[in-house]
Amino acid sequence: MVTPMERIPQADRKTKELDLSPEDIAGMVDHTQLSPYKATKQIKELCDEAKAYNFYCVCVHPFWTKFCANELKGTDIVIATVAGFPLGQSTTEIKAKEARKAVEDGATEVDMVMNVSAFKDKNYDLVKDDIRAVVEASNGCPVKVILETGFMTYEEITQASLLVKEARAHFVKSSTGFGPMGATIPHIWLMREAVGEGYGVKASGGINDFKDALRMIAAGANRLGTSAGVKIIDSYTWARYTDWDVEEIPCRLCPSRKANFDKMPKGTFQYYKMKCVDCPFREFNRFYE
Amino acid sequence: MILRINLSNGKISDENLDPQVKKEFLGGRGLGTKIIYDEVDPKVDPLSENNKLVFAVGPLTGTAAPTSGRFEVVSKSPLTGAICDSNCGGQMAPQIKWQGYDAIIIEGKSKSPVYVWVKDKKGEIRDASNLWGNDVEETTKKLVEETDKRAQVACIGPAGERLVKFACIMNDEHRAAGRGGLGAVMGSKNLKALVVQGTGPTAVANKEKFMEVVKHCLMTIDKNPLTKDALKIFGTNALVSIINEVGIFPTHNYQFGHFDEADGICGPKYIERIFVKPYACFGCPIGCGRMTRVDGEVGGGPEFETVWAFGATCGVSRLEDIAKANYACNRLGMDTISMGSTIACAMELSKKGYIKEKINFGDSAKMLELTKLTGLKEGFGNELAEGSKRLAEKYGHPEIAMQVKGMEMPAYDPRGAQGHGLGYATSSRGACHLRAYMIGPEVLGVPALIDRFKAEGKVKIVKLFQDVSAAVDSLSLCRFTSFALTVDEYAALLSAATGVDYSSKEFIKVGERVWNLERLFNMKAGYGKKDDTVPRRILDEPLKEGNSRGRVLELGKMLPDYYKARGWDSEGAPTKEKLSELGL
Repeated sequence: MVTPMERIPQADRKTKELDLSPEDIAGMVDHTQLSPYKATKQIKELCDEAKAYNFYCVCVHPFWTKFCANELKGTDIVIATVAGFPLGQSTTEIKAKEARKAVEDGATEVDMVMNVSAFKDKNYDLVKDDIRAVVEASNGCPVKVILETGFMTYEEITQASLLVKEARAHFVKSSTGFGPMGATIPHIWLMREAVGEGYGVKASGGINDFKDALRMIAAGANRLGTSAGVKIIDSYTWARYTDWDVEEIPCRLCPSRKANFDKMPKGTFQYYKMKCVDCPFREFNRFYE
Repeated sequence: MILRINLSNGKISDENLDPQVKKEFLGGRGLGTKIIYDEVDPKVDPLSENNKLVFAVGPLTGTAAPTSGRFEVVSKSPLTGAICDSNCGGQMAPQIKWQGYDAIIIEGKSKSPVYVWVKDKKGEIRDASNLWGNDVEETTKKLVEETDKRAQVACIGPAGERLVKFACIMNDEHRAAGRGGLGAVMGSKNLKALVVQGTGPTAVANKEKFMEVVKHCLMTIDKNPLTKDALKIFGTNALVSIINEVGIFPTHNYQFGHFDEADGICGPKYIERIFVKPYACFGCPIGCGRMTRVDGEVGGGPEFETVWAFGATCGVSRLEDIAKANYACNRLGMDTISMGSTIACAMELSKKGYIKEKINFGDSAKMLELTKLTGLKEGFGNELAEGSKRLAEKYGHPEIAMQVKGMEMPAYDPRGAQGHGLGYATSSRGACHLRAYMIGPEVLGVPALIDRFKAEGKVKIVKLFQDVSAAVDSLSLCRFTSFALTVDEYAALLSAATGVDYSSKEFIKVGERVWNLERLFNMKAGYGKKDDTVPRRILDEPLKEGNSRGRVLELGKMLPDYYKARGWDSEGAPTKEKLSELGL
């Protein structure tokens, strides 16, 4: 059986087989601006860029939903906003209210954060009820559920993904961008394995260039959440003029390397670091970066 | 149109530029290279009457295209003996273009000091006896007063007059055509300055389309984190912490890759201690230049490379001392990279007892003193003025000189960035970080992050970067635009401005053509495979500390594949097929 770690070089190699145009990639991008200090000018630019690059979606805080709906009127661009963001610790009622209001304001997708504490308590009914409430409040609009995979072990990611599907949400999504780590190949692969083909898997957090984007798609993502959409599409031009087949050492792309003692549950940190002990790629592990 | 000025016989003439040459070489570096290749014997003494100096601008110069204010000076370098183009910002380039000139060729040698004044499409050779001996600042001020207050001056300082091998040509007092010693070529011709004044703007073929592309380019530059934030806020010095952190910040003459005192010279510290205001060259939306103040003196710079050259590699961590050495170089007219690196070479020679002079790493007073002595060619400065290669060879230790083809290596240790190292080794003008800025993908993640320690897979990327860089230099745009723009945007700007339809691939082909022509010149000048290398230290001595420790440059893994990718034979000579394909 192939381990999640072994999926890293596989996905890295698979990127070479992908035959995607810049338009194909743009069609998967949730063009995201969830910074706490961006003002009207920047949100307008976000919408302008979405129109110019034909991104699938813009993803903003609830406060900006109406504004974006107005800016994007007459286009096919989807407007996503967030609920229970970024910690997922609001009560179910509040998350549902956020979702309902967002849809009223013009949102057509809702990205909610799962209640990770309840999940860690193994209170799976609460987790599912929390999700279901948002799905119902979203009135048919697709709901993506952020797991914040940096708080979870591989097994927990699989379990959480299954719960999301059982709760009839539409996407399982990796990260908020505010957590301990962004999207990684093993996590996205596990999410895809859990939910199966034809279901939504959104990779988000730390997708900074076209190689990152291609790796996430190769791992199983069909949606990319990133604030670097313009850079990704622009820089993808360079891929047309030469090969960029420099294989990465698996460690640089591995969640075990990204595990952060200060930002994640200590048990989860230890779990990831211990994966290195039996890793077939341990010889590649280098001290840098 | 070309303005040709012969300083030997005083003849000044206008010549039409062959449209085919313009199409195939664009302008700037490409045009200058073509002229030097056609007109200068590669074996000529660079400081003789028979060498020529070309000031060239590009098809976008003086237009609304972002960073359209750069010019190239091309000649045979006295530092390397290879062909050399040196790129300069400031405010001068549009003044040349606005008079309709694509290039100004300076040839021959004047019997006495002169300057050239170009206005209203007329060139004039004027006496400069009263200016000889003046520094760059004095010369610039006097010439503006003597000609026109709107005139722009590109001049040499005392270092160029004295033929210091890395003397540069200065515009706007503190912007330099810095590398390769082209200021000495000016000095050898008794030419103190080129002064120009024109009236814009440059006409473009398809104005509506051009402005549409310009608008898109400006938006893209304004979105890119490097051009929008890092370079704007910190200038180029934003790089100090990044490069030091990855362990490729050459320290004590490349003996180490990590400078323990880098926090004293990093971007934030720079703002706190010496920054006054930013400086932007003509048409630049980025404004990476820095004006600084030390002890009441206001000057330009230091930029990142200079902070390294007078900082880490000399073991100096006081920004004020680094800035003072930079100011001295500006006034004397010297390349700060070569100056700092040559002093660092002397420091290591001294430390190892190979020379009798006592020059210690970290001795900033001595560093400043040696800088001034070099510019004036006095005392030990006479030896430093020859550059690190000749200095180290003289004392029997060529391995101490951190140079390629005679040009000092800049502020990135290639042991921790394999592709960048291949770029140094194969660079047409000697060690140069700008020929293939692989620090982009290998460290900064532009356009995408790749494993900096891997030699495998780098060759084709290096070739692409070299070709695109040569093409961008032939547009005479600033290289910083390529953090944000791609070949598609450059080709679109060029097509709209000239009315000639260039595809992105054709644009890259221009760069490849220039690169091969430079190679041909250099081979005729005596360069070949044996010179496509780096100092032994980089190949054999692993870095001992920092985040690139244990690494050496694996050049042998890359060079044969690089020649293949270029369509060159195993000795690094362009094949007939390749030359034919490029129309050379």
